[in-house]
Amino acid sequence: MPAKTDLLQGTLDLLILKVVAQGPLHGYGIAQKILLTSKEMLQVQQGSLYPALHRLQRKGLLKYEWKESGNGPMAKFYSLTAPGRKQLQEEMAQWQRYTGAIALVLDS
Amino acid sequence: MRFPWNRAEAEMEREIAHHLHHLTAEYKRQGYSDDEALLRAKREFGGREQVKEQCRDERRWAWLTGLHQDVIFGLRIMRKAPVVTLAAALSLALGIGANTAIVSLMDVVLWRDLPVASPKQLIFLKWQVPREIPREIIEGGAGSFGPEDGAENVGDFFSYYSFRALRQNVSNRAMLAAFTGFTNPVSISYAGRPTVAQERGVSGNFFSTLKVKPELGRFFSDADDTYDAPAALVVSHRFWLHALGADPAVIGRGIRINNRPYVITGVLQRDFYGLVPGDATEIYMPLHHTAFMLDAREGKRPLDNDRFWCVSILARLAPGVSAAQLRPALEAVFPTTWSRRPNHLSQAPRIRLDEGERGLGFLRREFRNPLLVLGGLVALLLAIACTNIANLLLARAAARQKEIAMRISLGCSRSRLIRQLLTESAILAALGGAASIAVAYVTANLLGRFLVGRERFPITVALDWHIVVTVGVTSALALLLFGLFPAWRGATLPTAASLKEGSGSIGTVAARKWSTGKALVLAQMAMSVVLVLAAVVFTRNLIGIESADPGFDRRHLILFNIRPGTSGYDTSRLEQFYFNLSQQLSVTPGITQVGLASMRPMNVGGWWEDVRLGQQDAIHGVSINGVSPGYLSLYVPRMVAGRNLSWADVTSDAKVAVISEDLARKLGGLTVLGHMLAFADGPPGRKPPEFEIVGIAPAIAATSMKERPFTVWLPLGKDANEVTVVLRTSERPQIALRAVEATMRRIDRNLPLVDVTTMEEQISKTLQRERMFASLCDSFGILALVLAVVGLYGVMAYNTSRRQREIGVRLAFGAMPKDVLLMVLREGLRLAILGLLIGTPLVWLGAKYVQKELFQMKPLEPASVLAALGILFAAALIAVAIPAIRASALRPMDALRQDEQR
Repeated sequence: MPAKTDLLQGTLDLLILKVVAQGPLHGYGIAQKILLTSKEMLQVQQGSLYPALHRLQRKGLLKYEWKESGNGPMAKFYSLTAPGRKQLQEEMAQWQRYTGAIALVLDS
Repeated sequence: MRFPWNRAEAEMEREIAHHLHHLTAEYKRQGYSDDEALLRAKREFGGREQVKEQCRDERRWAWLTGLHQDVIFGLRIMRKAPVVTLAAALSLALGIGANTAIVSLMDVVLWRDLPVASPKQLIFLKWQVPREIPREIIEGGAGSFGPEDGAENVGDFFSYYSFRALRQNVSNRAMLAAFTGFTNPVSISYAGRPTVAQERGVSGNFFSTLKVKPELGRFFSDADDTYDAPAALVVSHRFWLHALGADPAVIGRGIRINNRPYVITGVLQRDFYGLVPGDATEIYMPLHHTAFMLDAREGKRPLDNDRFWCVSILARLAPGVSAAQLRPALEAVFPTTWSRRPNHLSQAPRIRLDEGERGLGFLRREFRNPLLVLGGLVALLLAIACTNIANLLLARAAARQKEIAMRISLGCSRSRLIRQLLTESAILAALGGAASIAVAYVTANLLGRFLVGRERFPITVALDWHIVVTVGVTSALALLLFGLFPAWRGATLPTAASLKEGSGSIGTVAARKWSTGKALVLAQMAMSVVLVLAAVVFTRNLIGIESADPGFDRRHLILFNIRPGTSGYDTSRLEQFYFNLSQQLSVTPGITQVGLASMRPMNVGGWWEDVRLGQQDAIHGVSINGVSPGYLSLYVPRMVAGRNLSWADVTSDAKVAVISEDLARKLGGLTVLGHMLAFADGPPGRKPPEFEIVGIAPAIAATSMKERPFTVWLPLGKDANEVTVVLRTSERPQIALRAVEATMRRIDRNLPLVDVTTMEEQISKTLQRERMFASLCDSFGILALVLAVVGLYGVMAYNTSRRQREIGVRLAFGAMPKDVLLMVLREGLRLAILGLLIGTPLVWLGAKYVQKELFQMKPLEPASVLAALGILFAAALIAVAIPAIRASALRPMDALRQDEQR
């Protein structure tokens, strides 16, 4: 298993928005999905995941509802709000620009 | 309770449980046993409470949740130590309340505008002269005259003629109205009941100039400015309420004033208290109909005499006109209204315009400095109270070190912790603040009553919400500031050391030599010096005045006033009436001597004249009284020389005088007997009266305990309208009074006895202001002392409890309890003495101001300073002795074992 990398500061919110954009997910699911999609490179600390979820919720970017999860107790499923979707677009564009710029410098 | 945050808490709990459920399932899938999987899941998830706390911080209602928790928690902490909390809240309530009271009173007395429309347009006309009143143009007058803002003498009275001319000439720039600058007591008879009230004469346009509205009826008009107009009067709202039974039908009814018929035409609006807060005026009447103007018997009537200046002038500037624009016209006209040119132009009166928006200025002039001094003292008191509370919070924060360390390690952020501690001080502030409003209301009105020294016309202080809010917010800010420091200290304590404390070595909490608590106590001690010393100084001042010898026996004397002249006795019957009165009272059981006087003794004011001996140039200010033959014998057993006055002197209107011994000495000794004593001024248009000195009496305090003027006694005027009856009783005055009242009823049951009192009460009434200052300063001083002692005790008790183990070790190694006692005493007293040393120079600065500006009190006497320092030192000794004795009584083993028992 490759070494896990700590998340860059400020990228967690973006990752959560992106993951949730593909369909409602509960907290554990979000962490798992980030881990799996990144090929187990990105490990989300639970200690920062839940405060981040609450933060996004307060900003009105996420909404939630309690639903039956496949096998187990009721879970809190997060999904994107309209402002959340917009925010995701903006942050993704910004991220692309940022990494592009970094790449330009590194490739020069 | 159902709050949004309660639901959020439950959801968060479930969400985390859900997460753990998945993690556990994951580990089970990897082949761990149930228990092992749960353990691993929990380990992976990390600090559950910390995550929760961080989530809470992110939530929308976080601040409210937090506040709710903080308040609940703060209240719980306070309930645990109710005495401490109560003491803190109470000292705060007293501190803030006293400040609110003084500021409210300052507002009413010093700052508030008159309750009339556009008060800024009002101006009081006055005049000023470099030195004396120029007698060639002002033969007599009534009003106030004296130095103002330093050098010049200012007078507030004009001739009626001047008023008319000035009014005419500036009518396009300002409206001028006249009023009597003084109020007169008059006898009233309404619906068969006799009372006494204060009257003020006003010109017809007075109320329209002020823009005051009638509550009922109508006011005067220019048509009232003649002797021929019907005698009308307007009563104050208070008088209407209390004396006329708030009857709306009084308008148009008749009322007898000094036995003359008047008609009530109006009642003033409720909020108009007069020309100055606490204005005693109850009855306003046209100038031409006032008792003062009508009763003048000699020469011309005062209003018709342009050398008799007796009206004050109020002006309302026309819109857009400034005082400066008004002045030239007034200055041009004023000299043309004088009866003749002054002898020296440089001595001539010059117009002066005083702002009138806040009413007559005498209260402001008189009470500005006393109020400022009181304000300074209460501010200091509040500072001491705040210091105490800071100390309390500091000690509490220190005592809660472990709790705080625990909370930090459980994920509580430091900002949250500071907020918690600040919330606690805010709760304290709110408790104290709420209680302070009651304190302020009571104190302010008590002060208002004392300040003017007249029970019937107190300055009423309705607490203005602006002031309550301002003082409240200021104090709360001050408290938060004081609370901030302990909070910050509490929150930044090293966590690990605090948790470990008490579990091991002795050295961990070695008390620093100068802790913050000690510094606060030091400041407190220093500030207390000022307050305790103020208490000592003002109390000594009061005692000094009270215990001074007035030159006579002040016990067993009764006084009361009667006003037969205004209750139906005409001049020809008065002489006989007074003679009978004296006779009948002197045979009343329990009465040994009877005296009548035209001026009430020991009443501060009175009848003052400048006199000279024969043709000498030197003039002397004297207090005069017209008295019956029995009067002097009430006070002194015998004359120093010559004879007493006799009824024959009264009957024949003899021009004779008895003078006080000190005046005789000043004039040249016993040889002045038989010489003539002349007034410097006479009544309008007459030669000054002269009196043959027939007797010299021992000097007594005639007007008050605070001053000893020269005194001259003349025969009682046989036509005096009003006299004060003074009786010496053989038993307690209260007992003799019954018989006296019976006798008075027999003589005339319709004659009211006014201001019945004993001499001792009369004296103490004139010392009300001194007593108020003394008792206020005493309470401030005691409060400061208690606070300082509590502060010192708190710090010392805390320090010794922290050092128990060290003390235990000392004792175990052979230190004697006495050594421990001395050690703690030394430490505490060093602190106290240092505080006293810092505080004493502060006092010198303050005292310089107080003694110059305020009471002409003697310079700070060393005895007072020593007494104050002694009191503080004794109090400090008690405060330190308790923890010292407790420490020395420790048993070494207990002290060392103490932590294990926790």
